[in-house]
Amino acid sequence: MAILEIKDLHANVQNHEILKGVNLTINAGEVHSIMGPNGSGKSTLAQVLARREAYEVTRGQVLLNGKDLLAMKAEEAACEGLFMAFQYPVEIPGISNAYFLRAALNAIRKYRGEEELDAMDFLPLLKEKMRLLEMDERFLNRPVNEGFSGGEKKRNEIVQMAVLEPKMAILDETDSGLDIDALKIVAKGVNAMRSPDRAILVVTHYQRLLDYIVPDLVHVLVDGRIVKSGGKELALELEDKGYGWAEPASAGR
Amino acid sequence: MIHIGKNTKSTVVSKGISAGHGQNTYRGQVKIQKGAKGARNYTQCDSLLIGDKCGAHTFPYIEVQNASARMEHEASTSKIGEDQIFYLRQRGLSAEEAVSMIINGFCKQVFRELPMEFAVEAQKLLSISLEGSVG
Repeated sequence: MAILEIKDLHANVQNHEILKGVNLTINAGEVHSIMGPNGSGKSTLAQVLARREAYEVTRGQVLLNGKDLLAMKAEEAACEGLFMAFQYPVEIPGISNAYFLRAALNAIRKYRGEEELDAMDFLPLLKEKMRLLEMDERFLNRPVNEGFSGGEKKRNEIVQMAVLEPKMAILDETDSGLDIDALKIVAKGVNAMRSPDRAILVVTHYQRLLDYIVPDLVHVLVDGRIVKSGGKELALELEDKGYGWAEPASAGR
Repeated sequence: MIHIGKNTKSTVVSKGISAGHGQNTYRGQVKIQKGAKGARNYTQCDSLLIGDKCGAHTFPYIEVQNASARMEHEASTSKIGEDQIFYLRQRGLSAEEAVSMIINGFCKQVFRELPMEFAVEAQKLLSISLEGSVG
């Protein structure tokens, strides 16, 4: 079953067309990767899917579990099971990680008509996920992302993903700024999230992350369009030959 | 804040929030008298702006009659960022819940010093007076 279906998606940022007709279907249980050079529209695609308002969709359709994603607000999309791990996680001073995540989880549970979790039920769940990402318990009470190192912020994103258990997870350049040890921990966390009823989209520049999170399909995004799709060997070929190789000759640069 | 005795210490923390067309001003006097040798004061003024038509102003009055005193004044102004709101909304919170969470975080340093009953009241008051101020 398709979790995410993108059909002919066009999107503008400040009246500048960034996405020029993206088509992509991700089925439950699959891990896809989108690779592409700087400025190709990778992050824009992630932001549009997460429903950031600054990005204006001019054409096309996106379905999340068969529902019209483009008609949803950001929080509705989140409650419908869409999660994005941010490229630059944001700091929220004064709000502890544990409080923030419980509020988020309860907002989603409420939307689904499930009972809200109190702190006693929630803490063991959060601690378990933090152990998976090898995060010290003192992060429970530290303000969200404030004073975290780059690697800690990225691990914290994956902790959030593990707690919120999305149907569709988008990782926006989660590997940027990670050293090799942190990369392995993040990959372990993501791999533990692979499940037959979940889809994961990994947006990245480099093939390196895909050594640890092995995708079912790799797509190459160039100038707002997917110009090539293939198995994980495509990522290796790209690493070898560069993005120029994947660009269609008709792009005429 | 008036320092009279030797080696006295004080801390002033002010948190101001401006929304809509609001302006908030901090005016605070810290006075160190002659006999207050080795007195110390630390003053911190933080302002949070919601929207781009509001402002914050800080006027510290520092009067020191004793050269051994140590005074510190720190002021900061921050704005609730669209990226902060989006981050919280992406995690499932509504825009209003997101703003209220950011504001509570901003006030945390003061709230946590209050007795429980006051802290709860203060929090409620904040959420009422800011209702609808964020579009």
